[in-house]
Amino acid sequence: MLLALLSILIFPGFLFLFILALAAEYIDRKLYARMQTRVGPPWFQPFADFIKLLSKELIIPELADRVIFRTLPLVACAAAATAFLFIPVYNAESIFSFKGNIVAVIYILTIPTLTYFLGGWYSRSLYSLIGSMRVLTQLFSYEVPLLMAVLAPGVLASSWTFSTVINFYQANGFLFLVNIISFVVAIIAVQGKLEKVPFDIPEAETEIVAGTFTEYTGPLYAYFRLAMNIQTISVSALLAAVFMPFGYNLGFVLGVIVFLLKILFIIVILAVIRTIFARIRMDQMVMLCWKYLTPLALFQIFLNIILKAVITQ
Amino acid sequence: MIKAVQKLITWSRLKSPWIIHFNTGACNACDIEIVAALTPTYDLERFGVQLKGTPRHADVLLCSGPVTRQIKDRLVRIYEQLPEPKFVVAVGTCACSGGVFEGCYNMLSGIDEAIPVNAYIPGCPASPDAIIDGITKLLKSFEESEAKKLTKAGG
Repeated sequence: MLLALLSILIFPGFLFLFILALAAEYIDRKLYARMQTRVGPPWFQPFADFIKLLSKELIIPELADRVIFRTLPLVACAAAATAFLFIPVYNAESIFSFKGNIVAVIYILTIPTLTYFLGGWYSRSLYSLIGSMRVLTQLFSYEVPLLMAVLAPGVLASSWTFSTVINFYQANGFLFLVNIISFVVAIIAVQGKLEKVPFDIPEAETEIVAGTFTEYTGPLYAYFRLAMNIQTISVSALLAAVFMPFGYNLGFVLGVIVFLLKILFIIVILAVIRTIFARIRMDQMVMLCWKYLTPLALFQIFLNIILKAVITQ
Repeated sequence: MIKAVQKLITWSRLKSPWIIHFNTGACNACDIEIVAALTPTYDLERFGVQLKGTPRHADVLLCSGPVTRQIKDRLVRIYEQLPEPKFVVAVGTCACSGGVFEGCYNMLSGIDEAIPVNAYIPGCPASPDAIIDGITKLLKSFEESEAKKLTKAGG
């Protein structure tokens, strides 16, 4: 009981996740600045932003539903943090493990996106309404390739449970490199999930003010930002576990270091993509996902089925 | 304990002033200079400054231009949409005093006739260096006033 509470609150639960989330935002912004030949923000910037937003006045729009408006940011935070508890950190077994938990994690990670939509919807502001419609449209375009890409490695391991997949690939050396296509697909889809450039269409500040978060002030906006950062970590951990299934039998200290390096690698890729592209239109985004990413992800699944037949023979 | 929390809050407010830019009838020169101050050359993100699209997220309202009678209501409305604590900075001579438009039938003379102003940055147009200097001075005066409040409450 005490151990479970400790693992939920401290490691690898909320405190660990909170620090990682702030660090992820810092690394992302610093790399973005350095690639634009700027100095960039100091290391405490995300923390200062968080404290400042918490201490600001809270304004709730007159027409907004007060209860839902207040609870949604916390739901987003909780869902993003819950997903992390099911993902293995330093050994193949996550703290709360059950059969088919890869599928469960993907579905829990969809909840924050839905709260962004509902938050915009219940703000009763035109800008946030447009933003929330864009969130949903984007969800329906990246979710399918993301789901198929993340499940493809499991097809080869004939299981959708983290521990089985990781043990299978660890026993088979460099076999995990065949999943490179679905890794690329997943990285692009994740960029859409995290609403970063080129897919920051839902909160495009040059078009629709601040999208879904237009009416959110102070503490509630701070929780939404935190949820976004925690989501970054959770998604990176998911991709690390599924596509880089090595270094999970090195013990506690080395295992955590390898885990952090893998997450850093994914965050660097996301920051580079954010720097080198400009925002695309909604129809281009939908076309990219359905015309190119989905067939690629299908191809990976097909490839893995054939490979599996070859291996088992 | 409460004092330490107060100090932390003041520190965080000093370290992340998010701004929103609003043109209250300027000739656009000051707006160009404000945008220039946000470019990588001056790199305002060093000080934690971010340009926000919505007044709900911003702390500092950067206004340029004398207030036309048309835009006065909108200015007041945007000011009221900013959550506390909020600061208003008047950028450029027109925003400070009306400049060449002073006494015009369709203009107020300066931002402070519509909403309270915390800092004035003169110049026609105010250069990016002057804008950065003005904002750092505003933050410094905020820091001093908060420190004074704390010592008053403690003693």
